[in-house]
Parts: sequence; structure tokens; C-alpha cells
Amino acid sequence: MIRAAMGMELRLRARMVILASLGLIAITAITGALFPAFGESLGGVDLPEGVSGLIGTGDFTTIAGWLNTEVVSVYGPLVVAGVGIVAAAATTAGEEEARILALVLAHPVDRTRLLVAKAAGVALPLVALGVAAWAGLALAVVLAGGGVGAGRLAAQALHLTGLALALASVALALGASTGRRSVATGGGATVAVLMFLVNGLAPTVAGLAWLRYLSAFHYYSGSEPLTTGVHVGDLAALLGFAAVLTLAAIGGFAGRDLRA
Amino acid sequence: MTSAIHTQGLSKDFGAGRGVFELDLDVRRGEILGFLGPNGSGKSTTMRLLLGLVRPTAGRAEVLGYDIRRDSLALRRRVGYLAGDFELYAQLDGAELLRYFARLHGGVAPSRIDELAERLGADLARPVRELSTGNRQKLGLIQALMSDPELLILDEPIAGLDPLVQHAFHAELMALRETGCTVFLSSHTLSEVDRVADRVAILRAGRLVVVDALEHLRAVAVRHWEIEFAHPVPAAEFRDLAGVHEVRIDGPRLSIAFEGTADAVVKAAAGHDVRAVDTRDGDLDEVFLRYYRDDP
Repeated sequence: MIRAAMGMELRLRARMVILASLGLIAITAITGALFPAFGESLGGVDLPEGVSGLIGTGDFTTIAGWLNTEVVSVYGPLVVAGVGIVAAAATTAGEEEARILALVLAHPVDRTRLLVAKAAGVALPLVALGVAAWAGLALAVVLAGGGVGAGRLAAQALHLTGLALALASVALALGASTGRRSVATGGGATVAVLMFLVNGLAPTVAGLAWLRYLSAFHYYSGSEPLTTGVHVGDLAALLGFAAVLTLAAIGGFAGRDLRA
Repeated sequence: MTSAIHTQGLSKDFGAGRGVFELDLDVRRGEILGFLGPNGSGKSTTMRLLLGLVRPTAGRAEVLGYDIRRDSLALRRRVGYLAGDFELYAQLDGAELLRYFARLHGGVAPSRIDELAERLGADLARPVRELSTGNRQKLGLIQALMSDPELLILDEPIAGLDPLVQHAFHAELMALRETGCTVFLSSHTLSEVDRVADRVAILRAGRLVVVDALEHLRAVAVRHWEIEFAHPVPAAEFRDLAGVHEVRIDGPRLSIAFEGTADAVVKAAAGHDVRAVDTRDGDLDEVFLRYYRDDP
């Protein structure tokens, strides 16, 4: 049953994930290709503290700094968060609103196992998107003339995958608990934006810097994986956050009435 | 032998008077029970309660001997269900869709799917998004029937089907009943209920108002007779008879509506020169409307 439900999830999301992956690879590669022309001429831009917190340090003198500002800080998270939230909201809440879930659950299907299967069916495409991000970064570095090792690029892609899983789990929990796609999508997106802003801006406000530890974005990019490699503690925090919210989704889904 | 469905005080209170209240119902094994009632009377909610899709607020129920709360998974292995207002994965074709449901059910012989598709004239090659309402309904029916369940719970099964397919579906139901399958079927199509149901249960405002065989319900329904006499007869002679609802005189023709036995009407008419009697016994609409109304 788990394989059937997970397979269906993959089947339903395949087109979106393939298109998003190709787009991510293409944009990242183009960004890398532009580095020789723009990066060196721009040099280091002294961005205000709040802005640098949000979009990176503005160091355009190296390919790592260039990619960090152009791809890692904004575009990458935007794509993976978008795909993750949309997929997670569609998986139970979407099917419930579309009046498909009642037929599914009328078969001998355990709700917990179904939710685990669907969560896995959301997670696997996000891992694939992480691989695509790695491929895009590798292509970008090659087109830029080198400068960052494949291991560092993999570390960044791994952290990006962790961020995607964490943000998708918010939508999964909201959707599974309420059966409302709009709540899952809107709530997931709101939490993502709030976390992004808190991570970037909290350190600029005296006494509120600690708030960044509540943001998934801190664990995504705070250790700068593109230059320092994998930070196991941060990655564990992202995956732990996703696991806790998946458990919350299971709890919220198991004991409630279907809406339709 | 236990009932196929047994509910005791089963309730689901959605608030504002909506839901199902204190439902005591027994569906016998091997029968087709028509489950009727106006829109919003609680038919679909009852079916969803039995399948664990919504949780009861009070009472208990057993399906095929399984407690609906404790043994929901086990009972669903032996039940086929068609929801009243369902959708399907639009991007899949019929064959993919049914393979998926078959895997969820733990496996179904592909030959059974093909057989049902042929009988109902279902197109399994086209994507669901390209199918008409009736053709989507066929897929819904096939996924309910394909596991050869011991109990079928069908919410408005013939909605959108053309008469030929309705006929084929009803033949399939009859064949299943011969094998011992129980069918719990809601419908607004009274002729369907008349054609296939052994008994009917009528729900109004979430409460069960009657469960009985159709012939019994007909027997107590208001009958409408037209009697033609050789000469005009006095209306008062009939108006005061027990069970008479309405009497109209038009020259030598008497129109009379009454319930219960016809004995008194026949005896009163026999005192005159009767030329012809036209009876419309137990009109089905009348039977149901009597129970659908607030004050039957």
C-alpha cells in the first residue's frame, strides 16, 4: 500500500518537479556564466546589514560569493520552498478538497501509513530538486571558470534540500490537520517568508538576534555551506524540524473527520 | 448470523440540527436496502460513519461483525464503496486509476476489472479529465465492485448513467446479491429503488423514520381510486368512511383518496350501480413523499 500511494504521489508531481529542476539548473548555470562579465566588475558591494542578512554579503569578487548572493540566498530557496509547499498542500488537503481522498480511504488503507507514504512522495522529489540544484551549481562553477569544489556544492545542495523538507513539512502538517489546501499553502508560504525575514533582519535589532535561531533559514545558510561545507548540526536541525512536523501531520490526520 | 450492518444509537452531530441522530438500523445479509431521504437528511453521513471517514459522536455500529471504530481497516477489506460526490485523479487514465485502487485494496484480478469495464461500457484508455460525468461514474462503480466485496455501500450509484448502463449495473447488483453480497444503496431515483431494493429505510432530518419492505409501505400508502357510477352518488356517504382523506364528485364519477384497507370504500360503492373502477395503488412518489414531509 505504501509503495502504491508513494508511487501515485510521484506520478502526480513528476511534471512540476521536472520543470522546476530544469528551471533551477538553467537559471543557476546562466548565473554562473555571467560571473566573469559582471562579478569582477561589480567587485565587493557594501550592502547594509539588513539587506546582506537577507540576500548575502554582496561579495561578487569570488564565484562562491556571487552564487551565494544570486542563487543561494533567494532564487534557490524560492524554488524549493515553492515546490515543497505546493506539493505538500496538494497531497492530503488537495485530495480531500477535490473529493478524492474519501474513495482512497474507503479502501483498507491505514491513515498513518498513507500519510507517511505521501510525505515520502513529497520528500523524494525535493531530494531530486536538491540534486538538480547541485547539478546547476556545478555547471555554474564550470562556466565561471571554477573556484568551488564539488563537495562544497553538494553541501550547499544538501542544506537546500533540508530547507525544502522543513518548509514543506509546515504545509503538510497544516493540510493534514485541517483538510484545507488554502490553509496549507497560505500558512506554509507565510511561515517561509516570516522565517526568511526573521533570519535576515532579527540580528539588526538589538536584543532580538536570538530570534534567528527559530528560523529554518538560519540552519540553511548561517554556516555558509558553500564555503565551509556541511554543518551536521544545522542539517540535523532542519531534518528534525521536518520530522516533528510530519509527526504533527500524522497526529492531525489520524483522528479527524474528513471534510469531503 | 450477524447483520451486515448493525447500528445502535449511532449519532454524528454537526451542530445546528445537522447530522445523524440515534440511528438504529439493521441491514440483513444478502439484501439490497434502499436508503432514502431528502437532501441533507444524513444518508451520506451515515455511510461515511460506517467507513470511518467521519467519527461518531455517540452510539456504536458494526459492519460485517466488525466494530466501525476498532476494526475499521478489517471491515474495509470486505466492503466496496462509491461516494456520492467524488472526483478522480484527472491526469490518470481509467486503467491506471483502477490499478491504483486495486493495489490499495491489496490486489484485484485484472480480469475482473476488464469484465466490469466491458459490462458497463467503461473506456479505460482515456484520461479521466476527458471523460463525461457518466463515464467517470462508471470508473467509480468499477472501483467499488472490483474486489467482489461482501458489502457494497453505494451513494447515488446511477447518477449520470444512461438507461442502458443503469440496466447493466442493476443486473450486476442482482448477480452480486445471488452470491450473498449485501447492498446498502442511497438513491433519489425512486424507480431504481423500486427495481432493486428488497427493503427501504427512510431518513428525515437525520432520524430514521421507517424501515420496511416496499410492498408493506405501498399497502399503507394513500390510494387514489376513480369510481364511475350509473348515477351521481352523495359525497357524504364516502367522506365519513374511516381512512378517507379526500372525496370529489364530478357527475357520476367519484374520486376518492384513502389509506388502509379498501373494504369500507368497496362496501359503500356496492350500494350503488358501479360501472368502472380505476385504481392507482401505492404510487411510489406518494409513498416516499409521505415520509419525506415533516408530518407524515
